Amino acid sequence: MEAHFDNSAEAIKRLQLCLNDLVSILALPAVWCGGGPTQVVDTLLDTLRRMLRLDLVYVRLKGQAGGTPIEVTRTDPSQREMPAPHDVWKALKSQQEKHAQKWPALVREPLGAGKISILAVPLGLQGEIGVIAAGSQRADFPQETEKLLLSVAANQAAIGLQDAWLLNEQKHVSTELDSRVAQRTAELAAANEELQLQVALLQQIPVAAWTLDPDGTPDFVNQKWLDYTGQTLDYVQSGPESWMTAIHPDDRETVSRGLWEGIRSGQGFTMEARFFRVRDGTYRWHLNRAVALRDTEGRILRFVGTSTDIEDLKRAEQRLRESELTLRRMTETIPEMLWSAAPDGAIDYCNTRVLDYTGVPVEEIRAGGWIKLLHPGDAGHVIPVWRACVASGAPYRVEARIFHASDRAYRLCVTSALPLLDQQGRILGWHGTIVDLHDWKKAEEELRNTQAELAHMTRVLAMGELTASIAHEVNQPLAGIITNAGTCLRMLAANPPNIDGARETARRTIRDGNRASEVITRLRGLFSKKQAAAESVDLNEAAREVIALSMSSLQRNGVILRPELADGLPPVTGDRVQLQQVILNLVLNASEAMSEVDDRPRQLLIRTERDETDRVRLAVRDCGVGFEKQDADKLFKAFYTTKKSGIGIGLSLSRSIIENHRGRLWATPNDGPGATFLFSLPLTTQSPADAPAVGAARSS
Amino acid sequence: MLKRSLVSVVDDDESVRESLPDLLKEFGFAVQAFSSAEAFLASGYVDQTRCLILDAAMPGMTGQDLQQELMLRRKKIPIVFITGHRDDTIRPRVLEQGAVACLFKPFSDTALLDALNDALRMN
Repeated sequence: MEAHFDNSAEAIKRLQLCLNDLVSILALPAVWCGGGPTQVVDTLLDTLRRMLRLDLVYVRLKGQAGGTPIEVTRTDPSQREMPAPHDVWKALKSQQEKHAQKWPALVREPLGAGKISILAVPLGLQGEIGVIAAGSQRADFPQETEKLLLSVAANQAAIGLQDAWLLNEQKHVSTELDSRVAQRTAELAAANEELQLQVALLQQIPVAAWTLDPDGTPDFVNQKWLDYTGQTLDYVQSGPESWMTAIHPDDRETVSRGLWEGIRSGQGFTMEARFFRVRDGTYRWHLNRAVALRDTEGRILRFVGTSTDIEDLKRAEQRLRESELTLRRMTETIPEMLWSAAPDGAIDYCNTRVLDYTGVPVEEIRAGGWIKLLHPGDAGHVIPVWRACVASGAPYRVEARIFHASDRAYRLCVTSALPLLDQQGRILGWHGTIVDLHDWKKAEEELRNTQAELAHMTRVLAMGELTASIAHEVNQPLAGIITNAGTCLRMLAANPPNIDGARETARRTIRDGNRASEVITRLRGLFSKKQAAAESVDLNEAAREVIALSMSSLQRNGVILRPELADGLPPVTGDRVQLQQVILNLVLNASEAMSEVDDRPRQLLIRTERDETDRVRLAVRDCGVGFEKQDADKLFKAFYTTKKSGIGIGLSLSRSIIENHRGRLWATPNDGPGATFLFSLPLTTQSPADAPAVGAARSS
Repeated sequence: MLKRSLVSVVDDDESVRESLPDLLKEFGFAVQAFSSAEAFLASGYVDQTRCLILDAAMPGMTGQDLQQELMLRRKKIPIVFITGHRDDTIRPRVLEQGAVACLFKPFSDTALLDALNDALRMN
C-alpha cells in the first residue's frame, strides 16, 4: 500500500496519460466516418499498438453472412519470432473452450516461445462481430488502464465496424440500384426500337395492315389502307365500325358479325369481303385476317391484321373453275369413253360413259376394279402391257374384251392412252379412251364376206359378158370335131374309101375334142368360188390363159392383141384365179374402151416384166378413150364407171385383190390416145415353212 | 369333069382352116384357105372365088368389114358366114347385106352343103 502512496504523483501522471488515450480512442469514430471496414481495422490496430506499446495486435472479424473470417495482425517490427495470426487465434480458441464466454480473456505465454501475454476482448457484446487481442512481453501487462482502453476501443470498433458495414451495404445497394436502372433503361430503349421497327414494318408491308385494341376499336392502320380506301386515320379512329364504310354494303353485316365474334372469343378472324378501291371506284375481294397479340400472362394486347387484295386471284380461280367445268362438261358430253390415270397407273377418272358402259361405280374402278371388267382370257396380257407403259411412258394400246353392262356380255374394245409429260419429260398422268370395236369388227368381217361374194358375183358378171366368147371358144373345137367327123364318114363312104384321109380327120377330131375339154377346165376354174389360195403363180402363164379365154371376145371387137411376155419371169405368190380375174378385167375394160375407136387400129398390149424394184409388173395398154389425169384415183372407186353398161366394181375389186397380194394397181393416161393399167406384185420369197428350221440347223 | 368351082375359106382359127378344106374337097370343090381378110384380099384368088366361107369375128378386119370391102370393090362373091357366137343380131345383118347364109358353129356337113348349093346357084 505504501508503495502506492509513494508513487501517487506517478499514478496521477498515468491517469492523465490514460485519459489522453481514452480521448484518442473515443475520437476514432470521427476518423472512421465514411470509411470502410478495412480502414476501421487498420487505424484501430495501429492506434492500439502505439498507444499501449504492444508487441502484437490481432483482429479477427467473423465473415459476413457466413463468409470467410478476416484476420489482421500488427506486430512490433523490432521483435522477431512473432506468432502468425492463425496461431494467435488457435491459442485464444483453446483458452475460450476452457473458460467459456469469459471476457476479457488473458493468455500467458500461449505460444510457448517468449514470455508474451495476450489479452482478448470481444467485438460486439457476445463477440458476434469478432475478437480483438493485444499481446505484450511486459511483465505488468495488462495493467487495468490497458484493459479499460482495450475494452473501450473494442466497443468503439464494434460501432465503427457496424457503421462501416452499413455504409458499405448502402453503397452496395445503391450501386446495384444504379446498375439495374441502367439495365432497364437499355432494355426500354431496345424495346422502343423494336416497337418502332414493328410499326415501320406494318407501314411498309405491301398489304393494308392494321391493329385493333383488345375491345376491337381501330388503333392503327397503315398508309396502304388509307391510300386504298381514301379514309383518314382520324376517320378510322372515330368509331369502332367507321372503317366498315369501305366494305361493300352487301358484305358489311357478315364482316361485322365475324369481326365482333373474333374479338369476343379472342380467336381473331379470317374472312373474305369486297373493299372499295378509291382509285378506280371498284369493289375488290379482300382476304382479312387478324390474330391476337398476347402478353406473357395471356392477356390480349392488340389484334394485328391485314387485308389482302385477292380479286385477281379470285378471278383466276373463277376462270380455272369455269375452265375445269367446261372441260368436265366436254369430257362428259363427248360420245366416247374417256379415262385418266395417275403417273403410277392408278385410274383416277372415268367419264359417265365408261360407268354406264361397264355398270360399275367410279369408286370401284378407281380402287382397281377395272381389272375385273376385263375378260378373264384377256387380263393376262393387258395388265403387263399397261404396267410396262406406265414404267416406260410408251403409248398404250391394247385390244381386249370388256364387260358391257346392258347386255351382260364382253365386247371387243381398243383401249389406248398417252402420257402427259412436263417440261422435264416426267409423266404427270395418263389420258385414255376406250373404243368399242365390237360392231366394227363384226362389220369388217361381214364386209370381208360380202367382198368375197361380190368378187364371185363380179366373176360371174364378167363371165356373163364372156358367155359369147366362151360359146365361141367351145364352138370352135366343136365345129372342127363335127366337120372332121363328117369328112371322115364321107371319105370312108367313097369308092374306094379314102382310108388315109379318114384316119387324118379322125385324128383331128380327137385333137379338137381335147381342145374343147381344156376350155371347159379353164372355165371351171374361173367360175368356182373358193377361198384365196397362196400358190406360186407364173404371171405369164396366167396371162396366156386369160388371153386364150378372151381372144374371141377381143376379135369380135376387132381388137388386135399383142402380148409382150418377158422371158424368165420369176413367180409371184398368190391366188392364180384371183389374179387372172384382175387380168381379165383389165383386158375386157381395155377392149371396151376401144369399142368406139374407128380412126386407128384397136391395139391392145399386154406386157409382163420384172421392174427395177424387183417386183413383177403386168401392164395392159389400150388406145381407147382414156381418162383425165385427175380421175386416176376415182377409177378405182366402187360403182364409179365411165362405161355405158356395167356397175363399176371391177376395178375397185381388182385393186383390193392386188392389195391383198401386197401389190399395187394403178393407171396412167398414155402420151398418145388411151390408158395403161398396171399392177405390180412382190416376188415369191422363200416362205418360212420351206426354210430350214433355225433350231434344226443349229443342232446339226 | 368341069373345072371345079373355087371355094375360099377365111378364118383365123387354124382347126377350121384344116378341117373345112378337106370336107369341101370331099364335096368336090377346089379350096383356098386364108387366116385373115387382108390375106384373102391380097391373094390372087378373089376373082376366081365362087363362094366365100367367111368367119365373122377376126382380129383386124372382121368378116363384115370384108363383106363391105367386097361390095365397095363390086365383087359379087356369094358369102356364107360362119360364126362361133350365137348372136341373133348378126344373121339378119349379114343377110341384109347380101350374104347367102349365116351358119353357127358347129354346123353339120349337110347344112354347109345346102348353103354352098344356094350360093353356087346365084352365080
